[in-house]
Amino acid sequence: MLPINKPQAEAELRKFVGADAYIHSEATSFVFVRNFKVKVTHAFIAGESSSYRAALRFDGHGWLRMEALTHYEVDEFGRLLLAGYDDRGRMNVALHLGKEPFPE
Amino acid sequence: MTIQGNANTPRKLLAVFAHPDDETFICGGTFAKYAAEGVEMTLVSATRGEMGRRMGNPPYLNRETMAAAREQELREACACLGIGNLIFFDIRDKTVEFEDERSLEGRIEALIRDIAPDVVLTFHERYGGHPDHCAIGKATTAAFWRSARKGALYFITFGDAMERPERYGYKRKDVVKIDVQAYQSAKLAAFRAHRCQTEIDEWVWLADNEALSRFGRHEYFLKGDVQAAQRANTDLF
Repeated sequence: MLPINKPQAEAELRKFVGADAYIHSEATSFVFVRNFKVKVTHAFIAGESSSYRAALRFDGHGWLRMEALTHYEVDEFGRLLLAGYDDRGRMNVALHLGKEPFPE
Repeated sequence: MTIQGNANTPRKLLAVFAHPDDETFICGGTFAKYAAEGVEMTLVSATRGEMGRRMGNPPYLNRETMAAAREQELREACACLGIGNLIFFDIRDKTVEFEDERSLEGRIEALIRDIAPDVVLTFHERYGGHPDHCAIGKATTAAFWRSARKGALYFITFGDAMERPERYGYKRKDVVKIDVQAYQSAKLAAFRAHRCQTEIDEWVWLADNEALSRFGRHEYFLKGDVQAAQRANTDLF
């Protein structure tokens, strides 16, 4: 995982616009949702320092917004993995997008 | 009564836990002790701990790489502790309590019948401390009672909480207190094998003698059947 570079991370996120995507989303201590499938219509990254917001619009009526994202990578399967870690390596949030379902 | 092992009939222990690191953090010294005594040990980890929060420090894991990393760490920890047989139930971390109970009990009962362990270890179904712990403890306890014709069930406990068992409705005679002082080095090696979980704890990575000084001398187990004939309170077998 690399510290988020906003233009690059946003470019990667926008590659999913117009496509069906499987999403894993979690606020680690409270909730996770794995493999919900949506058609992404808009994708955004906001924020100016080391902690970023991401938002997706999907299916013509949906929003997904997350904050406290710090790191990202495109993994060997072409999945975009965004995550937010604290200063001791603990995960606070994660947002993953893939063209195929994530392992259950 | 003490069950004596010999070359033909080794003593056997089955532990049914929820996450990689439960075995090390809670009762690693006990595994190392019984490994040294020739006990054959099987560990079930219901999950791979893939929903954990600690991702290394600094972080080097993500949610999708965590399962394989923690499986490998557990294999290394088992090698440190002398646990010869490791089984994963492939249940997603944080979802054990939502598994079909009968099916989960059935899998554990089949293992108990197959292995015929002298000792079964699991979590207490109320004092397990995490929903996955309580769920695997409940299923294992039910499976033990359905299957057992011999052997003894014990619940693992945290730290030295069982120095005061009255707080939990138990008596001192219900507690087995194992002296693991001679096995702390193996336990420390297993802690370090669980690298992504222990990097955040600076003391684990201090010089060996300093790190070892943080371990308590004893590990404590609650008897699963407080009505059972009195056994020694310093040995699980």
